Amino acid sequence: MNKLAKKYLRPSQIPTKACHGCGIGMIENWLLQAIDELGLKQEDVIFGTGIGCVGRQTFATWGGDNFGATHGRALAIATGLKLAQPDKKYLIVVGDGDAASIGTSHLIHAARRNLGVTVICEDNMGYESTGGQFSPTTPAGYVTNSSPYGMVEPPFDPCDVVKAAGATFVAETTATQWHQTVKIVKKALANDGFSFIHVRFPCNENFGAYALGTRDTLKNLEWIYEHTQGRKTDGSESDFVWETGIKHDASNSRPEFSRIMRDMNARVQADLAQKAAKKAAT
Amino acid sequence: MIEHKETLVAPWQEWARRSIKGRRLLEAGTYALTEGAIAAGCRVFAGYPITPATDIAEYMSKRLPQVGGYYMQCEDELAGMHACAGASLGGLKAMTATSGPGYTLMHDAYGWSITNEIPLVVVDAMRVGPISGITGAPGQGEFYIARYASHGGNFETIVLSPSSVQEAFWLTIDAFNLAERFRTPVTILTDQVISDMWEDLFIPDDYDGLDFVIPRKHNLMMPFYPVGSADLDVPPNVIGHGTGVCVSAYTHTEEGYDIEEMEAQWAQTFRLVNKIRHHRAELTRYETLGLDDADVIAVAYGANARTVKTGVLQARRRGVRAGFVRLITLWPFLDELFERDARYVVCELNYDGQLVREVMRAAPDKRKVHFMGKSAELHTVAEVVAGLDGVARSGKIPELPYIWTEVR
Ligand SMILES: Cc1ncc(C[n+]2csc(CCOP(=O)(O)OP(=O)(O)O)c2C)c(N)n1
Ligand code: SF4
Ligand SMILES: [Mg+2]
Repeated sequence: MNKLAKKYLRPSQIPTKACHGCGIGMIENWLLQAIDELGLKQEDVIFGTGIGCVGRQTFATWGGDNFGATHGRALAIATGLKLAQPDKKYLIVVGDGDAASIGTSHLIHAARRNLGVTVICEDNMGYESTGGQFSPTTPAGYVTNSSPYGMVEPPFDPCDVVKAAGATFVAETTATQWHQTVKIVKKALANDGFSFIHVRFPCNENFGAYALGTRDTLKNLEWIYEHTQGRKTDGSESDFVWETGIKHDASNSRPEFSRIMRDMNARVQADLAQKAAKKAAT
Repeated sequence: MIEHKETLVAPWQEWARRSIKGRRLLEAGTYALTEGAIAAGCRVFAGYPITPATDIAEYMSKRLPQVGGYYMQCEDELAGMHACAGASLGGLKAMTATSGPGYTLMHDAYGWSITNEIPLVVVDAMRVGPISGITGAPGQGEFYIARYASHGGNFETIVLSPSSVQEAFWLTIDAFNLAERFRTPVTILTDQVISDMWEDLFIPDDYDGLDFVIPRKHNLMMPFYPVGSADLDVPPNVIGHGTGVCVSAYTHTEEGYDIEEMEAQWAQTFRLVNKIRHHRAELTRYETLGLDDADVIAVAYGANARTVKTGVLQARRRGVRAGFVRLITLWPFLDELFERDARYVVCELNYDGQLVREVMRAAPDKRKVHFMGKSAELHTVAEVVAGLDGVARSGKIPELPYIWTEVR
């Protein structure tokens, strides 16, 4: 076990049941590095997950408090929890299905409210725990188990969606960008508001096997690398390129949701007290 | 009129007898449900407006900030109940309120709250359906849905139904208490008439002094889930106190870890089912009248029970040996109220027959259980009298317009 895992994770819950070579564990390690560099302790962070490989393979690994929502609802739960526990940091680790499909309405409204959580959307470009169907982030034309003739639906970019909805920190990285991802997660956690990080990573077992024709971890990572760089290893252009980096940084520029609610309460209670005092005086 | 005995079994019988300082108001059922929740210590309401529960949301939006609580208008009912579950896990008592269309959207969160033993109160103000139906008319179509408020089986639910504005107030406090004690969501299954109706209401001046309100406690120790045990009064788990609790959608261990073993499923089910089954006595709430001598017993709940009770009294005045059962606890079902070998006339606000099927199961002879289904309007007193009279004389409910008697 590495040092960070020892410090933050539960020995009984790792390694998880993720497939050999899956990127989920690697990304979690990067999250731990960011947490560690910020000096956060187990009890400072609440770890929420969705359902799917990303959710299930990270749930309960965190040494502090964990919740594993039903599919897509992690942010809905976090919205209520944040009211009760406003001073905690929240890492909401979800799949592309959770964030960009079944739970999109919660994602949009959490962004609109500027809910103080950091969402890590670990995007393997499909529903992998159900065996590799396409999702709203599967690139056009790619073959999955439910797009045997190629993905014909247009995808969307969840970063655009949350930015339009009012997120105060939005970034995109991929599984080939270790240091950049750690830096970005640190920034995201420092935003007292809604932070969204979209991280593409390879699923060897399904997306790799069906869309890319290989279960080889290195080959799948290479495909991610090529689309991060926009260039193949042979020097030719890749079929498309993901724009990575910080896409929007308005950190701490507007009040966080639970803060807005507490401020309103303070105002209402002050008004009440004033009225009561006036009544007592007359 | 034949002499008769009336019984009400409910904890608020005793609460109402205390000398609590308070005031009398003329108020709506939705107001009573809201104030009952605030009195019980509810500090979060998260939901989505729908007739006839909208007024609860509006009252809550005004009241909660005054007492340091939070009103959240969510993007939908899925979010509403999940947010309540989150708030409750964070240590605040929470409630949501809806009608049928929203109640079915909550089943995901309902199951999550059951599995994770999260105390919550859900109000379902039923209107006639299916689906949107008639928004401003009463229905009783969610009797079974409330029992099976989520998928997958392996759980029991607690469902209570008030039949007056005053009772809605006390029963809401009771629902919060039961949610805390049993660590589970409790549904208040009410209807459009009770929600919208204005009636005499007594409310205490000082909610802090109500010693019958069970305060929120926190479970700070393992086991977080006493699987394999039916123990009552285990304090709810809390997120944010550094206990390392794990809460999830999966079949779990004592720690809350995801486990895929048959034995673990057995132990979790034992807990979820038997914490309720083994403590049924704590959950028994009902009203009866004239059961000692009744030949024919009318059965009802909610708003409908009011005209039905009047009908029973009128039938007795005419010499019919009629009795009355009003269920307040709908689930777990009070089989013991149907032991008498009599005829039963079940009056409910749906044509398909729901409550009647449970009475048929519980009564000694299902052939002696009769159905009077009506929809979108309460039974009239005259209809109830005609039904009881017909059954007493000839073992049959006479043909009446807009009344269905067939249960298949
Ligand atoms: C309401 C509901 N619908 C469907 C499912 C089945 N299901 C489980 S995980 C999943 C897809 C997960 O996709 P994603 O969120 O991208 O996670 P991944 O497995 O790819 O990491 C689906 C469809 C479910 N659990 N709940
Ligand atoms: S199916 Fe794919 S995403 Fe899921 S654990 Fe295996 S490699 Fe990882
Ligand atoms: Mg996925």
